[in-house]
Amino acid sequence: MSEFINFYFIPGVVLGSIYALGAIGITLTFGILRFANFAHGESMTLGVYFAWSMVQFSGLHPLVVMPAAMLATVIVVLGIDRVFYKPLREASVVMLVIASFGLMLMVRSVIQFTWGVQLKTVLPGIQMPYVIGDILRIAPKHVMIVAGALLLMYAVHYLLTYTKIGKAMRAMSDSAELARLTGIDTEKVVMATWIIGAALACAAGVFLAIDTQVETRMGFKLLLPMFAAAILGGVGRPYGALAGGLIIGLAEELSSYPWVGNEPLLNPGYKAGVAFAIMVGMLIWRPSGLFRGKVF
Amino acid sequence: MKLFKKLVIAVPALAFLAGVAQAGDVKVGSAGGVTGPIAELVAAIMKGRQLAADHINADGGLLRGDMLKLVIADSACDPKAAVDAGNKLVNVEQVVAIVGPSCSGATNGMVSSVTIPAGVTVLSDSATAPSISDLKDNDTVFRASASDAYQGAAIAALVYKAGLRRVAMTYSNDDYNAGIANVFEREFSKMGGTITANQAHEPNKASYRSEMATLSQGGPEALALFAYYGSSGITIIKNSLENGLFDKFYAADGMFDVSVIQQIGADNLRDRLWITQAASDTGDMSYQRFADTYKSAGGNPEAPYAAHGYDVTFLMAMAIEKAGSADRNKISAALREVASPPGEVIRPNQWKRAKQLINAGRDVNYQGAAGVNDFDANGDVTGLFSLNTVGPDGKWSRTMLK
Amino acid sequence: MEQLYGYGLYAISLFTMGGIYAVLTLGLNVQWGFAGLFNVGIAGFFGIGAYATAILTTAASQRHLGGYEMPYAVGFLAAMALSGVIAYAVGKVCLRLRSDYLAIATIGIAEIFRLILKNETWATNGPRGVSEVPKPFETLPEPWNHISFLLLVLAIVAIVYVLVEVARKSPWGRVMTAIRENETAAKAAGKNVEAFRMEGFVIGCMIMALAGALMAHYLKFVDPNVTEPLLATFLVWVMLIVGGSANNKGAILGAFLMWIVWSMTEILTGRLPDELAIRAAYVRIFLIGLALQIFLQKFPQGILPEKRPAAQGKSADRGVVGEP
Repeated sequence: MSEFINFYFIPGVVLGSIYALGAIGITLTFGILRFANFAHGESMTLGVYFAWSMVQFSGLHPLVVMPAAMLATVIVVLGIDRVFYKPLREASVVMLVIASFGLMLMVRSVIQFTWGVQLKTVLPGIQMPYVIGDILRIAPKHVMIVAGALLLMYAVHYLLTYTKIGKAMRAMSDSAELARLTGIDTEKVVMATWIIGAALACAAGVFLAIDTQVETRMGFKLLLPMFAAAILGGVGRPYGALAGGLIIGLAEELSSYPWVGNEPLLNPGYKAGVAFAIMVGMLIWRPSGLFRGKVF
Repeated sequence: MKLFKKLVIAVPALAFLAGVAQAGDVKVGSAGGVTGPIAELVAAIMKGRQLAADHINADGGLLRGDMLKLVIADSACDPKAAVDAGNKLVNVEQVVAIVGPSCSGATNGMVSSVTIPAGVTVLSDSATAPSISDLKDNDTVFRASASDAYQGAAIAALVYKAGLRRVAMTYSNDDYNAGIANVFEREFSKMGGTITANQAHEPNKASYRSEMATLSQGGPEALALFAYYGSSGITIIKNSLENGLFDKFYAADGMFDVSVIQQIGADNLRDRLWITQAASDTGDMSYQRFADTYKSAGGNPEAPYAAHGYDVTFLMAMAIEKAGSADRNKISAALREVASPPGEVIRPNQWKRAKQLINAGRDVNYQGAAGVNDFDANGDVTGLFSLNTVGPDGKWSRTMLK
Repeated sequence: MEQLYGYGLYAISLFTMGGIYAVLTLGLNVQWGFAGLFNVGIAGFFGIGAYATAILTTAASQRHLGGYEMPYAVGFLAAMALSGVIAYAVGKVCLRLRSDYLAIATIGIAEIFRLILKNETWATNGPRGVSEVPKPFETLPEPWNHISFLLLVLAIVAIVYVLVEVARKSPWGRVMTAIRENETAAKAAGKNVEAFRMEGFVIGCMIMALAGALMAHYLKFVDPNVTEPLLATFLVWVMLIVGGSANNKGAILGAFLMWIVWSMTEILTGRLPDELAIRAAYVRIFLIGLALQIFLQKFPQGILPEKRPAAQGKSADRGVVGEP
């Protein structure tokens, strides 16, 4: 039992929190700007590299420089929106998806060009876990990651529920036409969406980098699980993305638990496919997702 | 349609421009997966190749003072890209020979589709797949890195000699690591050891805790870890140590990199990690000659296959010198001569001496930074291996493996 | 002289690869240009075709399933059939949803397919791939082997082009356009929208598999890396957008043009000093992405815009296919 919790459940929760943070950005762009942003993983990678540079420069803990890295990511993402997405806003949605697909590769090649492809780390060394009652083993960084993710999610919740712009975003997500009629400034909402998405993507990336390492393809590796989490939770539903992220993270880890006999239930080589399988199942049985999101 | 017309004019013009090379250059193709899944390893390899070219050009160049020019082409670790790269090197650049590509798959595609029909000699620094040995290549395909068969067996012997009989193993599911793991499993079982569990893992996952937990079942004494340090190796060692799942790791040269120590910490790895790496039989001398210059060129010599990159370029240059002209057809035979005994031993960065001896008609035998290069009938090297552990000073310490 | 002969051989290889990409792009055009289906899992169906023919036509090996040594035609047909069946299953799940979902689902399928190729070692030799795939005409002397293979590829491009062009002009093709432009109206006119979409998707995937099969024989080798999305999915999209979606001639032109640009830019970057030459490899990817963005914004119709068969009144001024 202790093994189940320590090596399957806790890593699943940690991974799930990271997925959830990333998926919130995807679900918001999907819901409000109405397109699947394939470049979202790359915002994440970019944020990590900003954080890495700042850690190198200042010698501070990655969590300390994270706000600055988030700011830098937000600025770049807003710039990308201005140059590449805005001119296409009036065209069809699919043009935006194609553009984001191209941007995914463009941003990645800029990262590879600027920072090189060598592996980097933001937090070297290993951390021995806290051992609680001889059974539970929790690494300090995992406490940090989950706590940080919860904090950020609460901030998003607060923003969406109590602020004017948050309410506007929700209105826009429910019905763009209606929102426009009631005099909501669409461009402002679009900006807010990018800001939240980029900031959370950066945070998710930094958390992942703290848990593992920094490399140029890390964002793309998370893209599919994040999409899966967003669809599972219901498009346009931030709470859904939260639940979806956790479920996907847990499912990936638990799929290789030896539920029957001594062999892993699923060959770990297929772990990456679990998220996708769940997503396809969801598309078949309930495309609106757990939280009754939108289906376009 | 206008654009198309312009293109029709532009293509030959471009091709013409491309063909204008500086007189006095001897061009050798340098194919590598500059982009793609192992880009981080290839950067170090390319640096090794360029360093060798710099040494040669500083010490008098090739033939009658011609400069050795490495023409870089991106094989992207993808056979499609490699075939395209090979075509450009062979037909447009008219290279004398090619060093690289880095990945086995890219090498396989490029040599089968391009260089074997064209009769161009290829010397790869890091393609290790056994299937390359079987190709009907008219003796034009060589490799400076030992086929997986040798290193897998070397690690198996190492583990067995350390007195370990029950070992769990995991490998990153890519062409390189899957191959070594396969041989290790066979050889270790043959010696009488037990593999308690054997699992492939997908690289680049954030956590391998569950995999390690499963592998630690059944009382293994150590973990045989076949992975690249970057895409999964470091994460696996971290996860295992943090959770007390394994404390002994045996690994192949894909794990040999200074960032392993940097990221995990020397104290955490001392007496816990053993890594084999191809090496020269004359102890450290050849390697040291390479490592010193590579370091002063701003590189980190402890990167997988950086030394091989140096060796293939140096060897190819010696072969061209031996052939006496930039004639493609003579390279293969010349390469065999300069790489194996008999002959006076040449080490890295001894170009002046090599050139002198070759021009005097004497036999030479290159002993590279990454090992002897006595090619067998398939153009493979058998390879001797060194054992690398973390020394008291927190750096890698090498001993030869007998 | 030797240099000129070299250029000739390079030109042959350029057009061979360009031709294989033209087949791929025609397949995508059936899906996107005709039916408005947004498939970003091209690499997956391409890979299915490549592996199917590689396993069927290659001589026996202990490393992977096979040893059937079937004729090439069998390999090609099997590749298309297998891809068609898988496409049908995928279509059943995804086609009822909006194109974004299809995009996410297809990119996921391509990744899953890669996992299968890597893990089912008994059949595919895992990450090590299938080597010594036979190549048509390879026993002919140089350069006739290359020329013959090029002619084969061009012949297939021509056949596929004629077939899709006939389809486009047929009533079937017009219904497709109608569905793409206004699904509700098409439904109201009594057309079975789902069935038409499914046909477009399956046919497109079969053409992609044919391209994959050609590629396997051309490379004489396949491994999971041939399904890397950059060259097998993204570049194909760029080709179609640049050439002109919904126009088959545009698809072919875009494929040759972009492949030539992609391949030849490296000849230039390869001349840079070494450190720069390595970094320039990333710049190349960036520039292709930028070309796509410029076309999307400034020339959304591509070089050869869509021509409606027997269009009534003004023809497409809406640019690339729109959402209803």
